Amino acid sequence: MLMEKRLEACILKAIHKRPVEVPVIAVTGGKGGVGKSTVAVNISEALVQMGYRVALVDADVDAPDDHILLNITLKCPLDVAVTLPVINDEKCTKCRKCVDICRRHALFQPRDGSPILIGECNGCEACILVCPADAIERSKRMVGKTYKNGTNNLTLFTGELIPGVEESSFVVNALKARVFDEAKDSDIIIIDTSPGTHCNVINALKGSCEAFAVTEPTPLGIHDLKRILNLLQVLHIKADVILNRSDLPGVRGQLESVIKAYNTKVSVEIPMDDLLVKSYVEGVPVVRMYPEAESSKRISRLSKEIAAKYIK
Amino acid sequence: MKLCVSSTGKDLDSKVAEHFGRAPYFLIIDTDTMNFSVIENTAQVAGRGAGISAAQMILDKSAAAVITGRIGPHAFSALEVAHVEIYEGASGNHTGREVVEKFKRGEYRESVYPMGGPGRGRSFQD
Repeated sequence: MLMEKRLEACILKAIHKRPVEVPVIAVTGGKGGVGKSTVAVNISEALVQMGYRVALVDADVDAPDDHILLNITLKCPLDVAVTLPVINDEKCTKCRKCVDICRRHALFQPRDGSPILIGECNGCEACILVCPADAIERSKRMVGKTYKNGTNNLTLFTGELIPGVEESSFVVNALKARVFDEAKDSDIIIIDTSPGTHCNVINALKGSCEAFAVTEPTPLGIHDLKRILNLLQVLHIKADVILNRSDLPGVRGQLESVIKAYNTKVSVEIPMDDLLVKSYVEGVPVVRMYPEAESSKRISRLSKEIAAKYIK
Repeated sequence: MKLCVSSTGKDLDSKVAEHFGRAPYFLIIDTDTMNFSVIENTAQVAGRGAGISAAQMILDKSAAAVITGRIGPHAFSALEVAHVEIYEGASGNHTGREVVEKFKRGEYRESVYPMGGPGRGRSFQD
């Protein structure tokens, strides 16, 4: 077992708050390269084939690539910016509350002047909140973009971080805000998270009805699966496992004990499939290009189960 | 003058701490009388901005100059803005007392650019 962390009820409530009624399903997995995006894109496509309106959210803002799997060019960009505080010398009373509150220690107060921003601000705005003189104005610093692409009944929302910038979770939040604002008419929202278990994955997972953790039967896959199942447990999000490349000669015993320990199940096994690889190279979801492929059949079956369970 | 030495301990016989922002203590020493006060660096383990915070602490104690091993770019900017003189290159083999003597003999040269790379907080996670 990994670390146990308990969240307070009010935090869990905030995590599960959804501004829209549309069901939200997350595709995650801990490890990189296990097929999260392939699964998310194909579940979305399968649901579209069933006649549903789907919002697919590419929340892997460090390396978004669902648009490549769908062979589309990103459109409708909106900037994502964080606040950069600008201190108005005339209003500043030099009380230093902003300097003291800054968790990044980014502000510095010279002997006789108003505070100046020297360090790395992350835009949290605590300084603005504590300033009694209303002397801090908001400037902006760009950290990324969000995009929206509509094709038939599939709308792809993509977040993209400016490389080298740290605020990936801000971009995920901005992306989700846009989705919840603009995808009200969808029947379902599918969120494709980044690998890992850090804050941008947490922000991507927030509000999910259920999360599918994609993994593969390798020691690395199992190790990272354990971590993401741990996170989902902490967040109180129902977890299921999708076992990709299921016929790899691997470590099934270990996988089964992890699944048992976290009281979850393998919802679907996707075997190695040349047709899936071919469709991947073509930039067409396998469920569209080769509906007869074994991987297509299994993903379609899972998609039907998701629809039956969540779409009214 | 009031001189700040980054220190591994709380007295003049403690060795110098070589990194300004991550120093455990700062000694504020009156170079005429050798009387001194001790500041505990509460930002030593800060994820970010330890240097800026340390600069603020020593400025509040009216230090006119700092002697340390290396100083990060943020702390350097802060002290520069505050017109605090910066002397880098002090060795962790020397005590605070020895460093003050060397300073008085003019053995340290004032830094005009920070010698150190990015602050150590760079390697910390938030």
